[in-house]
Amino acid sequence: MKKRKFLAVILLAAFVSLACTTRVSEWVLLNSAAHQYSLIYFHKGFVSESVKKQNQKLAEGISSSNIQFKSVSRQEIAEPYYGLYYEGRFFSKYKTVDDLKGLTSSPLRKKVAAELMAGKLCVMLYLKTDNKEKDEKGLNTLHSAIESSPFGKIITVLELSRNSREEHHFASLLLNVEDDLKDIQEPMLFGIFGRFKALEPLLGRGITEENIHLMIDYFTAECSCLIKDDLPGTDILAPDQWENPQTALLNKIIDDNPSLGY
Amino acid sequence: MQQDTLSYDSLDSRPLPKWLIDQKSGVTGYQPEELVMKEDHSLEISFIVTGVFIVLLAIFITLYLNKKHKNQAS
Repeated sequence: MKKRKFLAVILLAAFVSLACTTRVSEWVLLNSAAHQYSLIYFHKGFVSESVKKQNQKLAEGISSSNIQFKSVSRQEIAEPYYGLYYEGRFFSKYKTVDDLKGLTSSPLRKKVAAELMAGKLCVMLYLKTDNKEKDEKGLNTLHSAIESSPFGKIITVLELSRNSREEHHFASLLLNVEDDLKDIQEPMLFGIFGRFKALEPLLGRGITEENIHLMIDYFTAECSCLIKDDLPGTDILAPDQWENPQTALLNKIIDDNPSLGY
Repeated sequence: MQQDTLSYDSLDSRPLPKWLIDQKSGVTGYQPEELVMKEDHSLEISFIVTGVFIVLLAIFITLYLNKKHKNQAS
């Protein structure tokens, strides 16, 4: 009996010590479930059978992502529409079900998710304005910062135009991470980690090597209670497939170079 | 993290993301314990106790020797 208690204490101590040394990026991927979006179909009370079927099909199609579908009656609206909400914040309005095609998944989001599941520290997504001069300046700074970082090899850099047609839902979700981003015509750098959580971006002249290194420091920091209780960022809408990720590549780098862990 | 879009006039005065402010001020890691100096009276107490002990011992020895001398004289 005493042996069992002793073993339990040892295991508990091992767990506690593990919890304290897990890095932010890995802890969030393993433990922090993505927040849910709400897609709400607003109508004036009457919903035809064809629309009901259409909505049922829509709800089934998005059920594997971090989103739930609802139908709400409102007399004051002029015509039915779909509204996308996250944590009580209004994100987007869609007139027809066709506008919702590709809402929960897209090629680039699949790539980001695959990188995170492969054990990468984070994905740095550079959202371009399509103004060549502005875009190249920030991009050069980004590449320079990544090259000089000891964690550069485990960071994936991806680019996306905010005017992309194929990825317009993804770009729109990113531009909703903060209320005012849609109105700012500057390149933005989003750090994406965990289960597709996007940090509030660095933008324009804020894309400096110093700030990029601070972002990397955030991902590689030991996961303190302070961070766990107040995780920044917005979960991006994506398929909810986060089971059995690869071991964090960060751990090997820190094991080989313990001084990088502090 | 929501930010008030009306709280700044230009992009330069736009508030920084909270995670970046925290990183700059270093509050995301474990905070080192603040060492606060407390008043230490142990040395004074030690002197007083030693002094009292010496005085009492001197009184005791004086009384003892006095008594011994008186006994020898009688």
